[in-house]
Order: sequence, then C-alpha cells, then structure tokens
Amino acid sequence: MYKYLLCWRYLRTRYIALASIVSVTLGVATMIVVNSVMAGFADKMRDRLHGVLADLIVESRSYEGFWNYEEVMARVKEVGGDDVVAMAPTMETPGMLRISRGGRPAESRLVQIIGVRPEDRAKVGDFAEHLFDQEGNRIPPSFEVTDAIKALSPAGRDLKALESDPEDTFLKESEREWLESQRDKQVPIHGAILGYALATYHLGNGRDDIYIADIGQKVALAFPMQAKIPQTGADDFTVVGYFKSGMSEYDSTHVYVPLEELQRARNLQRASDGKGSVNQVQIKVREGADLDALADKLQLAMEQLSPMFFHVSTWEQKQGPLLAAVAIEQSILNILLFFIIAVAGFGILAIFSMIVVEKTRDIGILKALGASTAGVRNIFLGYGLLLGAVGSGVGMAGGLLFVRYINEIEKGLSVILKHKVFDDSIYYFDRIPTLVEPHTVVAIVAGALFIAVGASVWPARRAAKMHPVKALRFE
Amino acid sequence: MTSHIAAFGLRKSYRKGKIEVPVLGGVDVDAARGEFVTVMGASGSGKSTMLHLLGLLDQPDAGQVVLDGRRIDDRPDRERDRLRNRTFGFIFQFYHLLPELSAVENVMMPHLIREGVFSYIRKRKQIRRDAEELLDRVGLGHRMAHQPSEMSGGEIQRAAIARALVARPEVLLADEPTGNLDSSTGQGVLDLLRDLNRERGLTMILVTHDQQIAHQADRVVRLSEGRIEEWVPALV
Ligand SMILES: Nc1ncnc2c1ncn2[C@@H]1O[C@H](COP(=O)(O)OP(=O)(O)O)[C@@H](O)[C@H]1O
Ligand SMILES: [Mg+2]
Repeated sequence: MYKYLLCWRYLRTRYIALASIVSVTLGVATMIVVNSVMAGFADKMRDRLHGVLADLIVESRSYEGFWNYEEVMARVKEVGGDDVVAMAPTMETPGMLRISRGGRPAESRLVQIIGVRPEDRAKVGDFAEHLFDQEGNRIPPSFEVTDAIKALSPAGRDLKALESDPEDTFLKESEREWLESQRDKQVPIHGAILGYALATYHLGNGRDDIYIADIGQKVALAFPMQAKIPQTGADDFTVVGYFKSGMSEYDSTHVYVPLEELQRARNLQRASDGKGSVNQVQIKVREGADLDALADKLQLAMEQLSPMFFHVSTWEQKQGPLLAAVAIEQSILNILLFFIIAVAGFGILAIFSMIVVEKTRDIGILKALGASTAGVRNIFLGYGLLLGAVGSGVGMAGGLLFVRYINEIEKGLSVILKHKVFDDSIYYFDRIPTLVEPHTVVAIVAGALFIAVGASVWPARRAAKMHPVKALRFE
Repeated sequence: MTSHIAAFGLRKSYRKGKIEVPVLGGVDVDAARGEFVTVMGASGSGKSTMLHLLGLLDQPDAGQVVLDGRRIDDRPDRERDRLRNRTFGFIFQFYHLLPELSAVENVMMPHLIREGVFSYIRKRKQIRRDAEELLDRVGLGHRMAHQPSEMSGGEIQRAAIARALVARPEVLLADEPTGNLDSSTGQGVLDLLRDLNRERGLTMILVTHDQQIAHQADRVVRLSEGRIEEWVPALV
C-alpha cells in the first residue's frame, strides 16, 4: 500500500520531476499532430489519386497500343463478372503543349496527352467532378466546341462587338462574313481540356491565378506518330475547360483530348477499317472487391489473349512510389520525433537519480520498517510510470486538441505572422486535412510510457539495492 | 531466565580501502522479555552498529542473533523484512519522518508496509485509529495532520516513537532517542517509553550516553573496545 501512497505523494510534491516530463508531453503532442496531419494528407492524397485513377488499368507495353480493345474489354468482363462496373478505352502518350497568346512569347510544356471518350472516362473514376470553366463553375464532360466557346475567340469577340453596333449595315455584312471565317480558323473544331496548372500562373499569397490559356483559345499539341522511324505530329485544339483535381502532378501535366481525334492525328487508325488503337483500358470495379486478386486474375487472362503484351495494375501499384514516399517521410519523421521522447527519458533518468539520492534516508527508514527490496524498487518504477502517464496523457490531450483546432490555430498564426502559414493553393486543400488513427495514438503513448518506465529502471534498482544502514548513516 | 533477544559473539568490521577497521569484536548481549536494558559507550564504540545487527538491518561478520531461542540473522530476506516490520521497533538518533506524509501517515507507515491495497482498505479505520491513539499518547493529538516541516524537533521525535510502537513490536531498539532533546523533553520521552515498557511488557534496548537516563533502566551494559561489560548499578 505504501508504494502507491508514496508514488502519488511524490507526483504531487515534486514539481522538478514534472518539469522533466515536459519533453515527454511535447514529444507525444508533436508526434500526434505530425502523424495526424501526415495521415490526413496521405489519406486525402490517396482519395484524390484514386479518384483520378481508375481502380484497375490494363495497358499495353507499347505506345502504339492495341486495336482489339473490344476483345480485351469482353475478356475483362468475362473474368471480372459483376465486379467490373465500367470500362473506358484510353490512349495516353507523352507530348508537348504549346500555348501562344498575343503579346506574350509562346510557352511549351511537357505534358501527358490522354485521348478519351469523356462520358466513358467519367464512368471509371472522378473526372467530371474535376472539370471547371474559367469562372470555377463545373462543366459537363465533353470536348464539344460550342458556339458560346467560339464566341470567346478573338474574332468571335470582334463579331460580338459588331453585332451590338446597330449602324452601318452594308459594311457589317461583309465584315461579318470575314470575321466568321476568321473565327472558324481561330477555333479548331476539336476541344481539349487542360490541366489547371498548365493553363495558369500561380502567384500565391492570396492573389488570383492568372490564365495563360483562356477558354476558346487555340493551343497546339505535338506527339509521337506511328511511323517506320520516330516522327512527331502536331494538331491544334481549342481550350474548352480545365481539369483541377488537387493533385498537382496531374493538374500540371494532363491534357485531355477526344480519343478518335488523337488516334487520327497519331496515325493509329488501321488502313483496313479506320479503327484506332488504344494503349489502356481503364476499369472501375465494384466497391469492396479485392483489387489485387482481380488484377492477378486479369493478368492471367491477358497473358492467354496475348502473351507478354499486357500489363494489369491497380491504382495503388501505379502510384506506388508516391504513396511509398509519403510513408517513408512519415516513418523518418516518427523516428526523429521519437528521439525527442528518448531524450526526455534521459532527463527522467537524471532527475530520478537525484531524487533517489535525496531520498536516501527515507529509503533507509522504509527498509528499517520492513519494506522489501522489490517494494522500494516498485515505488520508483511506479513513480516513473505515473510521470510517464501524466506526461503522455497531457501530451495526448494537447496533441488531439491541437489537431482538432489546427485550422483555427493556422488562421491565428497567419494573422500574427502576416503571411499564410498553410498556403492552400499549393495543395488546393481549403483546410489542413487531419486523420487521427487510434492505433497510432495508442502506439505513441505506449512508447512514451515505455521510455518513462525504462528510464526509471536504473534509479529504481539503485534505490532498491541501497543498504539500509548506509542509507541511515547518510548525511 | 531465558532471554527474549540475545546476541552471541557478534563481530563486525568496516573496510576502509585496504584497512579493516574492527568495530565489534565478539559482543554478547541479551535482554529478557520485558527487560529494559541501556547501552552506554563512548562515541564511535559501535553502539549503533550493534543495534543495527540486533534489528537485522545489517549482517554480522560472525556471531548470531537469537530471538526466543531461534537464530534470526541468517534468515532469508523476506523473513528478515517481516521481522523488522512486526517484531522490532526502531527509534533512530536522527528522528527522520518521511517529508511527504503527515504525522499520522508517518505513524501508519509500518501498517502501510504490511498491508496490501485491499487489506488496507478493509482495515484502514482501525489502522488510522491505532496511529491516532498513539500520537495522542505521545502528546501529539493536536498535530495529526501536520507535515514534518511544520513540527519541532521534539514533536518529530515523539512522532517517530509513535511510529516505532504502532505495530506493537516485541522488541524496541532505540538509538540515543533523547540525544538531541533538551533534558526535560528527554525525560518526558523516557517516561513514556518506560510506561510502555511496563504496560506492554515491551523489551527495550536503549543506547544512550546520558548517565541520568541510563540508570533508570533495569540493567546497564557498557560497550567498550568492541566488547560488552556488565555494569552493576549499585556500585555507582
Ligand atoms: N560504513 C562505514 N564504513 C566505515 N566505518 C564505519 C562505517 N559505519 C561506521 N563506521 C565506524 O564504525 C565505528 C562505530 O560506529 P557507530 O556504531 O556509529 O558508533 P556509535 O554509535 O557508538 O557512535 C565508528 O568508528 C565509525 O566511524
Ligand atoms: Mg551511534
């Protein structure tokens, strides 16, 4: 009984020991905050990655792709059965985007050109959800260059100005014809959807992004052609919308164009029937289905169809390096932060050793009154556990509160520091994402407790081994 | 008369570096049940050392400690802990109380050490009552909840006496209990011990170098040059 009483009293009367666990508290709080924020980011990122990527992708190893995608899709349906919800044939190829605009030097960028049928693409993953016009309004998944978009071209704008001018009807008629022909030249018939980051300059610090490719503007794409020797082709498209997923990797590289137009332009249409090839079939799978198992089954089926030609991967495998990078960052941070708590362990060890020396006489008295060696040891082990519990308990509460109010705290800090601490335009997250994983919190607290108890083992053993007579003679 | 506690041929020496300093060179001492024995001797003659050996706080290099005819100095740790807790009561020269606990809690300590959590909870009323009664007895009824830092030297010493007696030990070992008190307070403490000795039949071995106090005992022994010599009170 005396052990508990003494632990408790020591806890309440020794403020210096409480000071020694401040670093445990801070370490635990920091670890909880960092892990929650990183888990939140990773979770959001996975969400968005998965949103944009289809669950499963069957792709050919060559950029020229394959013509028999109907056959491939039939096999997929056959193997996957009800698990397969939707499929979209896609042609994806690297290329160059060239944006030229009056008064500014033309800009070229490396891009990923993705030829899709927009309605099909919208069915296999988040696509329609990420399409916006220049005002930030959602637009339907379509590449159609509507009259409204045509009217936004330079000639279209002049035409509009002319129409609103009531005078001079004769001149107007000829001018109108000329302007109309100009407009049709300025506006290619095929639309393209540009990644938001490709089409804008990001100024940051709360200022609006500047568009360098407006809707209705002509942009040029260059890409590898199907030919005997490597050769590039080019084609013009009209900007009809922007793709803004929140994943900068996609938003700064993706250009979506109509599948058939890309096939034609890349010379991928068969001479016999004009059918174009694709190099991917994107597949959406029923929720809850085992992706990895299905991928394996599909790979097998594809091998039967055409050996060594197809590669089936899940969205996670496709983004493996990115997800792994986040996981590595998180574990490195955790190791570093755990060192903080380990350092705190040495603080506890030092202070405990001091307390044991200070308590020498008390220990002598306790032993004279019949306390056992184990009993004396347990006083200090219990004290260490109690300190660790208080330290990590306060740290846990503080960390969880911080996570709960992290956005409010960020706002406050931004006001004080006079610049945005969390620049939401970098990740396009409007709030700092957090995810508190109970098992992580438990592991952190358990680790801190372990260190606190571990650090008190040595002083506790010293106290227990103390010879009662020496302790009583201690001055 | 069989002795209640006795020691035969106790030897103890301390090692200081390479030099061995003999302190006790074959001490024979005994006390009958209910007897009050005082030990006198020059400072450094080994009185405290002898008391520690008798109370199982230390182990002799040679010799035996016998309680009720049974050797106890070679018992395993558990049993020695138990004997210290139940059979012996210690009063030290420096009357040390645990500073985190109140007077009454300090007095309860032997019981707190003896009982586990559950048996303590069951017996806590009785334990507290015993401690309060004894504090009352030593004249500290008004100091129960005080911390040691709020008490005078004499009060602390009396609380330490209450602590030594609360678990109703059979043998009280007191190491200069009055050494740091003025003579009237010292006499008060001694009267109290004497009363308890008579009342409870408590065997007491008390170290002192105050002749006045020593001669109130049933018997006085003298420790000198590592050995005990009997003193016949009548001759003084
Ligand atoms: N731990 C120790 N190491 C060395 N010498 C000691 C130790 N403890 C006591 N002594 C010596 O033993 C002798 C007896 O000490 P002690 O029993 O305290 O005497 P008393 O109580 O009669 O004054 C003294 O000379 C003291 O210096
Ligand atoms: Mg002494």
